[in-house]
Amino acid sequence: MKIAFTAKGSSWDSKMDPRFGRMDFLIVFDEENKSLISKDNREGAEEAHGVGTQTAKDLIESGANVLITGNGPGANAAKVLEHAKIEIFVGAGSMNIDEALKAYYDGKLESF
Amino acid sequence: MKEIVIISGKGGTGKTSITASFGYLGAKEVVVADCDVDAADMHLLMQPDFAEAKDFFSGEIARIEQDACIQCGKCADVCRFDAIPVIDGKYIIEPLDCEGCGYCPRVCPTDAIVMEEQKVGKWYVSEIKTGSIMVHARLGIGAENSGKLVAKVKNEAKRIAEETGKKMVIVDGSPGVGCPVVSSLSGADLVVLVTEPTVSGLHDLKRVYELVKKFKIKAGCIINKSDLNLQMTDEIESYLELENIVSLAHLPYDESFTRAMTIGQTIVEYDNNGLNRSIEETWNRIKQIIFKKEK
Repeated sequence: MKIAFTAKGSSWDSKMDPRFGRMDFLIVFDEENKSLISKDNREGAEEAHGVGTQTAKDLIESGANVLITGNGPGANAAKVLEHAKIEIFVGAGSMNIDEALKAYYDGKLESF
Repeated sequence: MKEIVIISGKGGTGKTSITASFGYLGAKEVVVADCDVDAADMHLLMQPDFAEAKDFFSGEIARIEQDACIQCGKCADVCRFDAIPVIDGKYIIEPLDCEGCGYCPRVCPTDAIVMEEQKVGKWYVSEIKTGSIMVHARLGIGAENSGKLVAKVKNEAKRIAEETGKKMVIVDGSPGVGCPVVSSLSGADLVVLVTEPTVSGLHDLKRVYELVKKFKIKAGCIINKSDLNLQMTDEIESYLELENIVSLAHLPYDESFTRAMTIGQTIVEYDNNGLNRSIEETWNRIKQIIFKKEK
């Protein structure tokens, strides 16, 4: 399974980014081979409109099954992710990525 | 560092007057961010010095390069916004009407249409009268607020707060329920809803709270002008209870709001008749709520 994070940086101890559409980095953790892949989203964040749905598209293309974030996407992006059957967990906005993953495994994050 | 976002859903409830008062009371402990950029007015109360100004670019609009244009009119035919009139026999893009959808360059047979990024305004980092910092923006004529600009103002305020060791960021949130509000709410520790006892006050409160609830952010509510319609105030109270929203304060209708504003003061500076104390108590409650959570 692949788990995605919205983050401020690209390493395990990076802070999470509570935003969805204008997150700094999209991080994808592949449980199978333990790899951590990051996509710099800071340029995408420069778009004035439609950022949420664009980021949702990137997330779907990354193959992630689960998204861990701070507050959750806005209504339009949420609809896109719902169709793609990506599960969303929120409340990890002020954690580091490794803490967010642990909180997810421990069932401490709320479902969006 | 904690982030408090103040929103109202409906205009004219006193959101900015109350936010500015909190900014004044928070003094050097807070960085103020004005994300109500469509009609930014907090600067009138906080007297920023506009020390650091940066251009803000957002969105693209089309421009026709006349040398390459063959006057075929295909662009005008597809434009849903009627933004391409013919003036003196030439097709021209009317910048105020262009929405930047990008359809016209796709149909132009001679590639005469270019999309250009627009400078839509400026954003500022200012020192304000409390000696603290305010991040704010000013849009040009016809420009609209966006989630992007809100994100910029907020992120800058948070960065400054972290660097200078401030305890809080106070955000004057954007109106409505669209993209700028979503952007205002992202990352907030507490949302303060300011409403008034009117049908539209309650309606818009409910509408914007749906968004807050979806984002699972703790919320409190201030009912301003609460004595104007006691029945409606009760109705709002029932709603707050139902939704588990903290009832922070009932403020009376008071013309001090307007009088303070006209001389560029916050209410807590201007008023001495109890309204100042009510707002101060509300501010103290807000601080209790956000700092209690950490333990």
